[in-house]
Amino acid sequence: MITFKNVTKEYPPKTHALAGVSFRIEAGEFVSITGQSGSGKSTVAKMIFAEEMPTSGHIHIGDWDISNIRHSDIPVLRRQIGVVFQDFKLLPKKTAFENVAFALEVAGESTKRIREVVPHVLKIVGLGEKGGRYPRQLSGGEQQRVSIARALVHRPKIIVADEPTGNLDAITAREIIELFTRINDFGTTVVLVTHDRDIVNGLHRRVITLRDGKVSSDAEKGKYLLS
Amino acid sequence: MRSFFRIIRFALQSMMRNFWLSFVTVSVFVLTLVTVNAVIVLNVLANASVKSVEGRVQVTVYFTSDASESTVKNVQSYLLGLSQVKDVSYVTADEALAQFKENHQNDPVILASLDEVDGNPLGQALKIRAYNAGDFPFVLQALETPEYKPFIKDKNYNNYESALRVLSDFSEKVRLGFLILALFFGFIATLIVFNTIRVAIYVHRDEIGIMKLVGANDWFVRGPFLFESICYAFIATVVMGVLLSAFLTFANPAIVAFFQGVDVDLVSYYLTNALPMFGAQFGILALLGLGTTTFAMRRYLRV
Repeated sequence: MITFKNVTKEYPPKTHALAGVSFRIEAGEFVSITGQSGSGKSTVAKMIFAEEMPTSGHIHIGDWDISNIRHSDIPVLRRQIGVVFQDFKLLPKKTAFENVAFALEVAGESTKRIREVVPHVLKIVGLGEKGGRYPRQLSGGEQQRVSIARALVHRPKIIVADEPTGNLDAITAREIIELFTRINDFGTTVVLVTHDRDIVNGLHRRVITLRDGKVSSDAEKGKYLLS
Repeated sequence: MRSFFRIIRFALQSMMRNFWLSFVTVSVFVLTLVTVNAVIVLNVLANASVKSVEGRVQVTVYFTSDASESTVKNVQSYLLGLSQVKDVSYVTADEALAQFKENHQNDPVILASLDEVDGNPLGQALKIRAYNAGDFPFVLQALETPEYKPFIKDKNYNNYESALRVLSDFSEKVRLGFLILALFFGFIATLIVFNTIRVAIYVHRDEIGIMKLVGANDWFVRGPFLFESICYAFIATVVMGVLLSAFLTFANPAIVAFFQGVDVDLVSYYLTNALPMFGAQFGILALLGLGTTTFAMRRYLRV
């Protein structure tokens, strides 16, 4: 499903974000990518949804060759990947409903379908009654749930979550991770980028650890290995 | 089609959320159109004035008192036979005297000296109009025949040529001045549209980023900005139409009164030409806006 083959990413003049990274993630897996700041884990996440391109090597997402993807194909790829960020990236002047609907609007979905799907997805993330609220009227955890609902609303095959619990307290963070595991249970591949030891250790899922832009460990039911 | 309507909705939202920026952009567009329409109005007035003055150019040929009416009528027929001559009117001696008195009714010296003279000192006359003011030298030359010359006392050429030249030169300069002003406002409008779109891109940077993340294609991101610039052009053209209607409603009677005898009905001129004229103005503004927006997006919008 997701294949990184000897992927290198350099930023001029001489910064190596990734150096020969290779791994394969199968459909339906839940994989945590961990590492210290600057280890290259966010670069991996950005490459999965084609925000960054590799300097060398190959990345395949399903049938897509990200390394040679055409500019016009990027939106089509992104409609098959849901992305969740640490800072939620919600539009402050839109309600929770509108934020989620926005993802379908840009994809050209009909208004009728948007009215059907969005309340359903908001219910899945536990915000069935709060669709009319603006982000400022929601807690951090609720805002992240809106962000997850937006990522889910396309019915993507992959969810990439880059430090989704970074701005949340421990209890809320656990709830969000539980939400991801439930999403994974429905068959969606989840790639969780995090440096939170408790979360990684509590998941008992596959863990890829990056150190200085290289894969230092790749373990099924792994643990957080960094000190 | 769905995406098209959403692009329009996003564009209108953007205009409303950045109301003052939109207001300034539309204002400068309107100023540009005001100068363009000032050029058009001046053009209409100048053309009507030149035509009117040209129509008034005439030569009066005075005959000696011994010239018989039939001789004068012969000259009239002869002149009417010339292709350059538009009209020749016959004036009797009495009519010439009455006309002379009327023309000098406020000049007691001339009127007194007329009383001193016994009888009517003026003879018959012919008033000649040509199709073109430039044909008069030829017409005057045509009267220099031995058959008619002895009966001609005087030829009074009301030379409006210099007045026409002054009028043409003046209107040309005013038109040029307004055109330069229109170009200047056009340039300012370009800068302001550029800045408006740049600010709009900055204001919407989060929204654009999110649009891209959730899979919006290029046109979905760029479309609202392009549509916004077309909206500015449309609103400015409508505002100009309203302003012009108001101006003409109040000013047209005064203009008609000022240009007495000259056919300068601006209202009917604009009513006749409204569609092509405002269509062209909208088209040019929209092209200007689209070009500027495309340039601003190339510079600031990375999609």
